[in-house]
Amino acid sequence: MNAEHKSLERKNPFTPEPARIVRTYPLTDDVKFFQVRLVDMDKALLFKYRPGQFAMISVLGTGEAPFCISSTPSRPGLLEFCIRKAGTVTGALFKLKENSLIGLRGPYGNGFPVDDMKNKDIIIVLGGLVVAPLRSVLLYCLDNRDQFGKVSVLYGAKRPAEMIFREEYFSLKERGDLECHLTVDQDDTGTWKENIGVVTTLFPRLKKVDPDATYSLVCGPPVMYKFVIKELLKLNIPKNQILMTLERRMKCGVGKCGHCAIDYIYTCLDGPVFTYWDVLHMRELI
Amino acid sequence: MDKILAKKDFPEWLKKLKAYRVYAPRKQDDVWNYEPVSGPDNVQLADVMTAVPAKKIVFPQREYFFEFRETDDNGTKLTELLPEDNPVVVFGVRPCEGKAVTLTDKVFSGEFEDPYYWKRRNATTLVGLACVNPPSPNCFCTSVNGSPHSKEGLDILLTDLGETFYAEALTKKGEKLIHEGQKLFKDPKPEDKKKAEKIQVEAEKKVRRKLNRIENVPLKLKGMFDSPLWDEESMSCIRCGICTYLCPTCHCFDMNDEVETTTPLQGKRVRTWDTCQFPDFTMHSSGHNPRPEKSSRLRQRINHKFQYFVEIWQNYQCTGCGRCISLCPVGIDIIKVVEKVRDYGS
Repeated sequence: MNAEHKSLERKNPFTPEPARIVRTYPLTDDVKFFQVRLVDMDKALLFKYRPGQFAMISVLGTGEAPFCISSTPSRPGLLEFCIRKAGTVTGALFKLKENSLIGLRGPYGNGFPVDDMKNKDIIIVLGGLVVAPLRSVLLYCLDNRDQFGKVSVLYGAKRPAEMIFREEYFSLKERGDLECHLTVDQDDTGTWKENIGVVTTLFPRLKKVDPDATYSLVCGPPVMYKFVIKELLKLNIPKNQILMTLERRMKCGVGKCGHCAIDYIYTCLDGPVFTYWDVLHMRELI
Repeated sequence: MDKILAKKDFPEWLKKLKAYRVYAPRKQDDVWNYEPVSGPDNVQLADVMTAVPAKKIVFPQREYFFEFRETDDNGTKLTELLPEDNPVVVFGVRPCEGKAVTLTDKVFSGEFEDPYYWKRRNATTLVGLACVNPPSPNCFCTSVNGSPHSKEGLDILLTDLGETFYAEALTKKGEKLIHEGQKLFKDPKPEDKKKAEKIQVEAEKKVRRKLNRIENVPLKLKGMFDSPLWDEESMSCIRCGICTYLCPTCHCFDMNDEVETTTPLQGKRVRTWDTCQFPDFTMHSSGHNPRPEKSSRLRQRINHKFQYFVEIWQNYQCTGCGRCISLCPVGIDIIKVVEKVRDYGS
């Protein structure tokens, strides 16, 4: 009955928009940076998103996969992605040169609640190679620095060579308006001047934390969450102010295909950003 | 709008539906399925349960989203392959399948409306056939808020009165289809309506399988995530996925690119049915799998149908057709599994 009133005027959500790879270069052995622009300049400038949202990238002939946007909406026009070579789509993406044509649709997902985070202190905890979505929110905070309280970054990588955007983080250390602490599990270069140890060893360096006024954002491999969350709970940060972005296999990105469904939620619509409170209630989330 | 159609006039009605592509259940190699009708005399409307549900008409097993072709100027031409507008009519749709379509309607609506689904759905007229006798020994529609004469999702409901069909037009599309038959349709006498109602009430009593007292199952499931029940019940599962592929309410799908030529690159993006019963359904490219065991996947199937879907849409995602019971190669029985959930710990 309601079927008869359905309009078909809306945009086809499955059709990707043509985009070109503007720049691409390796960040580590198996992670590459991609700067992308929608071919249609108006659409490129009007592409509105929140930090933490993702896009579906197509390599036509190979397929499509979801990737978190690691650029910030405060710098419109170009979209950036840090992509780890892991499957068939990323394998095909890695072979593409600058100016290659790809497909892009989105943005999808909830993203970080940047409006709720305003005037709050922000602690960003990064682990390993899965740091792309937090780069977006970090740059967003820095571009709107006066809207946030204290900003602290704790980043742990396996080795110096696996610290993604390490030059960016080194230059952050020079800034006086945020704390940035870096660590590696082991230094195989002999030149590492920062901390050595897992990311949780950086927590004592955080200056006085006002837990109720703090949002903590965590992103890393599944094994890392347990240890980092323990530290954050020790600091008395409320469970619903601990935010994390989670990974899930996805096909459609628009809440239809069922792949990313957990409990009654769809990661593509209701995530990929979840609070620790959500994680406690949805058992298969991590 | 209620009408009466003599059974002998049914082929005449079909002849008038030239503008439509007509589907009806057809038996081939002992299996019934909805197939295009070859001629007006070849339609047999009976109490049968097809193997593949009528959802395939609005949500086909495989369909193309778009075609891509590399162009000479280092670009790619992308052409959307939306279904055509040609009207389709499906005869003999079981009321449980009509109800199931109202559930897929919900899924394919919303902020990101699915144009492929809705183009087909809007072009399709579903002519239901009320079940006089349960078409399957595993029918249990009456236990999941359905009935052998449910009108939900249908455009017309036909009830077999012996020599005639009692035809109820339920939507504008249904009225239009009856209008195509013009004088073949007569106004019913009061006794026709009474007879139809009597048959419908009798039919409800003939549904043998029951899944009683399941109101608390959604809540119960919440506390049973770690129950050993899932291991026990999934032990015999051979992971074939039939329970979900042939479920009229299951809607999960996969999307892939099919390449026809590589130079120039040319191909199509295809959508195919998929199932949560396969391990790679949730497998991350990193190798991490949040649902690695078959027990977790049976739990997902039952939870989705009897808890998660209820939370989102206030409906069980099961209309009681019994296909997943009849067609499971190892005899996993959703009724028994849900009963065990219901009675667990009591």
